[in-house]
Amino acid sequence: MAYQLYRNTTLGNSLQESLDELIQGSLNTYRFCDNVWTFVLNDVEFREVTELIKVDKVKIVACDGKNTGSNTTE
Amino acid sequence: IYQRFFSIDDLALPRTPLLSPVVPYDVHIPNSSNPETTFNLQLEVKETCGNFSSVDLSFLPDELTQEDIDQIVNQSQPEIEENGKTLSRPSRLPFPSKRDAGLALNSGSGSNSHSPLRPGDSESVRPSPEKQHFLPLTSLTPMTPMIPVSECSGIVPQLQNIVSTVNLACKLDLKKIALHAKNAEYNPKRLAAVIMRIREPRTTALIFSSGKMVCTGAKSEEQSRLASRKYARVVQKLGFPARFLNFKIQNMVGSCDVRFPIRLEGLVLTHPEFSSYEPELFPGLIFRMVKPQIVLLIFVSGKVVLTGAKERSEIYEAFENIYPILKDFKKA
Repeated sequence: MAYQLYRNTTLGNSLQESLDELIQGSLNTYRFCDNVWTFVLNDVEFREVTELIKVDKVKIVACDGKNTGSNTTE
Repeated sequence: IYQRFFSIDDLALPRTPLLSPVVPYDVHIPNSSNPETTFNLQLEVKETCGNFSSVDLSFLPDELTQEDIDQIVNQSQPEIEENGKTLSRPSRLPFPSKRDAGLALNSGSGSNSHSPLRPGDSESVRPSPEKQHFLPLTSLTPMTPMIPVSECSGIVPQLQNIVSTVNLACKLDLKKIALHAKNAEYNPKRLAAVIMRIREPRTTALIFSSGKMVCTGAKSEEQSRLASRKYARVVQKLGFPARFLNFKIQNMVGSCDVRFPIRLEGLVLTHPEFSSYEPELFPGLIFRMVKPQIVLLIFVSGKVVLTGAKERSEIYEAFENIYPILKDFKKA
């Protein structure tokens, strides 16, 4: 039973979602450790109704919503 | 000059005409005065198509597409037909004159030439230096005899996925790897391994604390090996004394399209020992071939998936085995 998730990840030929993102150009790196996701993105646009902010590099640190999570960008 | 006659085992190449232009070849032509070798030539030619068990096809360029194959088949068509006729008549032997020994030729009698370079040329053909798509002909390069196209499928399954394993032979600190390597995931609750990915070759690796590693997603044996080496280098750069022991391809998956619809119901009725078809469970017929030991997923559309191979030749052999069966069950 516990191995079903294993099967999911061993199918490297399918669902290379992370790498597809990479190839689309924006995602530089990703990391998942201790239930914390860290992403580094390049050439990002933050769009709000009034404003548009463009940055060369964004680091996103994201934790699980169930615990006290925090989203910080630098 | 006596020319040694080649045997099937010597040849590392398939005898499908569509593949021959891509293949290094020369002419080991039997002496015309020896009737036995003539007979052998006949026998071998008949056996060749489909006998892939000892054939190493790694020479095949990975990017060989169906278009490339169609092109190659069209190019060599004139020779093939000519040779088909030649080979069926034992008395007419495809021998070049001795001075042309060592080259694939179109001699007057219609030799077993598969030189798409100069199809109309009846004299000795030397590969033009400009057309270096093909390897230079020498007396040492093996030859592929011509076989009528109708005996072979003319379709080459494309490899889609290779799974391999290797032993880095040192204990690894997975947390350290996950924290310092790029593009890594580590969720010990779900899986006791780091999942790492690289872009080129596009693959995913599972790295275990024992030092063992699984690499998936590559489209060729070489790519799988190269990718595994790259992961090993990443681990090495993180400070572990990683080695590269016992690299082994564990599974190869290929797929192709026969380009006609198939009556799966008929196939399962005639081959019940090998087939399993439950459309309510899965729309494809599962064919478990015994030799080679390959599992094929056959779909109504004519698409075929082949898996379970340890070597590329097993995929090709399995497909050549199933193709005539599939033709028998062509729809309408």
